[in-house]
Amino acid sequence: MNMSRRFGQAFLLLMVFMVLFPLLWTLLNAFKQNVDILTRAPKFIFTPVLDNMIFVLSRQSVLQALVNSLIICLVSVVVGVVLGLPAAYAIARYPNRITDELQFFVLSLRFLPPVAVAIPLMVIWLNLGLYDTRLAMIVTYSLLTISITIWLSVPGFQQVPKEIEEAARVDGCGVYAVFFRIALPVAARTLLGAVAFSFVLIWNEFLIALMLTTSDARTLPIVASEMSQLGMDVPWGILNAAVILLSIPPLLLLGLLSSFMNSVFSRKKK
Amino acid sequence: MFRQKSLPYVFLVPTILILMILAFVPLGYAINLSFRNMTLFRPDSSYVGFENFVNLWSDRRFLNALWVSAKWQVITVTATMLAAVFLGVLMFETLSPRQRNIMCLIFLVPVLLPRVCAAFVWRFAFHPLYGIFTYPYRAITGEPLEILSNPNLALWAVAYVDLWQWGFFFAVIIVKLLEALPHQPIEAARLDHARTWEIHAYITLPMLRAQLVALTLIKAIESLRSFDLIYVMTRGGPGISTETLDMYAFSQGFIEAGRISYASSMAVIMLLLTIIIFTIIWKRVRA
Repeated sequence: MNMSRRFGQAFLLLMVFMVLFPLLWTLLNAFKQNVDILTRAPKFIFTPVLDNMIFVLSRQSVLQALVNSLIICLVSVVVGVVLGLPAAYAIARYPNRITDELQFFVLSLRFLPPVAVAIPLMVIWLNLGLYDTRLAMIVTYSLLTISITIWLSVPGFQQVPKEIEEAARVDGCGVYAVFFRIALPVAARTLLGAVAFSFVLIWNEFLIALMLTTSDARTLPIVASEMSQLGMDVPWGILNAAVILLSIPPLLLLGLLSSFMNSVFSRKKK
Repeated sequence: MFRQKSLPYVFLVPTILILMILAFVPLGYAINLSFRNMTLFRPDSSYVGFENFVNLWSDRRFLNALWVSAKWQVITVTATMLAAVFLGVLMFETLSPRQRNIMCLIFLVPVLLPRVCAAFVWRFAFHPLYGIFTYPYRAITGEPLEILSNPNLALWAVAYVDLWQWGFFFAVIIVKLLEALPHQPIEAARLDHARTWEIHAYITLPMLRAQLVALTLIKAIESLRSFDLIYVMTRGGPGISTETLDMYAFSQGFIEAGRISYASSMAVIMLLLTIIIFTIIWKRVRA
């Protein structure tokens, strides 16, 4: 028994290595010159240089894409919150056939192949003269943020004990006051996680951004992917640096997302 | 009284209306496009009936893309679920709760990475001459190891990256689900000298059946969004060996020919297939 336990632990440590090593290697490569990357044997000892990071961060296209990404993500996440949270609350508090169907409708939006949305939207935005604008991206992404916010927030609202809400009602709160003053704060931790998920989803989105932008409204993932086409050789160091920089925002939310998963999945214990 | 009853309507109607507009306008437009002969370079177009759809069935690349997509779905969903259940049970059995929490945090990292980043990380790793993943092979044989340029291996390599992102993530979910199960049945089985694998095969996993089915469905839905990985790692190549439906629709509509209508008809077929298949499965699972 103890033997097999040790063996299992060793295997899991190997898995941790599988997760982290490629990322650490990318991080190292981001600080290497090309001569140190293009070697027959992997080089662990080298003189670190900041050239790659500086090159990436000083490019006009990267800065513009960063601004685009931030504006597009934040606005569409806010739209998702404003429209999605109340809808999720209504679905959680009034379980009946209609809200059941609506919940399924929201979920089924996730079944849509992105290509099936992106191709017609490209033509629509071209016709409206809005192609390659932040506004078009925000409107398009709102479909994603609203539906994912609803989907992930319903369990959060279901966890709010009915007794608290009823007590507030007895004290003279209206239904709207109950939502804003009781349900939202009580469920806040779970809801925050849901919102963080919708941010990560939009920050990472690639296909729609690739089809709906060409220059002005390009987001960071698009600009990062285009770096592999700079000049003749693939600039490995620069690409590694771009990968690291692009990955930082989602990883900053790691703690929040992990506690979201804990609160969603541990509810049965109570 | 009206104020008290109005909440579900006020909270739901505007949101659902906006969602419907955002979803159905593009879809209706896609269906409209699929019956025309529009290209990016010729703005005027006319209706051609089912011509695009008829042409699709004699298009070898489309049939190939259907086949690649089907393979992709089966490989990634199966691999993710098997790995996640195995790792989840292993973590549950061999680690203390504290160790488990730390490992869960680490296992969440790959899925949070933008898929573009994950794809680049592994594209370097798979590089035939300088990749870290191919280094052991090079060191032993002295030959470069071609992975992404090998038509037989490329799809597996990309699927491996998908597994790297999703398998660990689902393992975390399965650990959390196992932790939330009541302890009594497990302990009762332990007292009866059931083996560890028997406990999970006959008690815990059957108890989690509904959740496992839901996870499988979610993975199947997310596997449809493989475009970024394939686009960065292989662009559908070598040849057309990793060209999935969305990749082919993209290259028909945007890169090669600008055949917007033709690409739309493919998108419409994908749409019908996914909506019909997933709605049937989802409804049946919930019933």
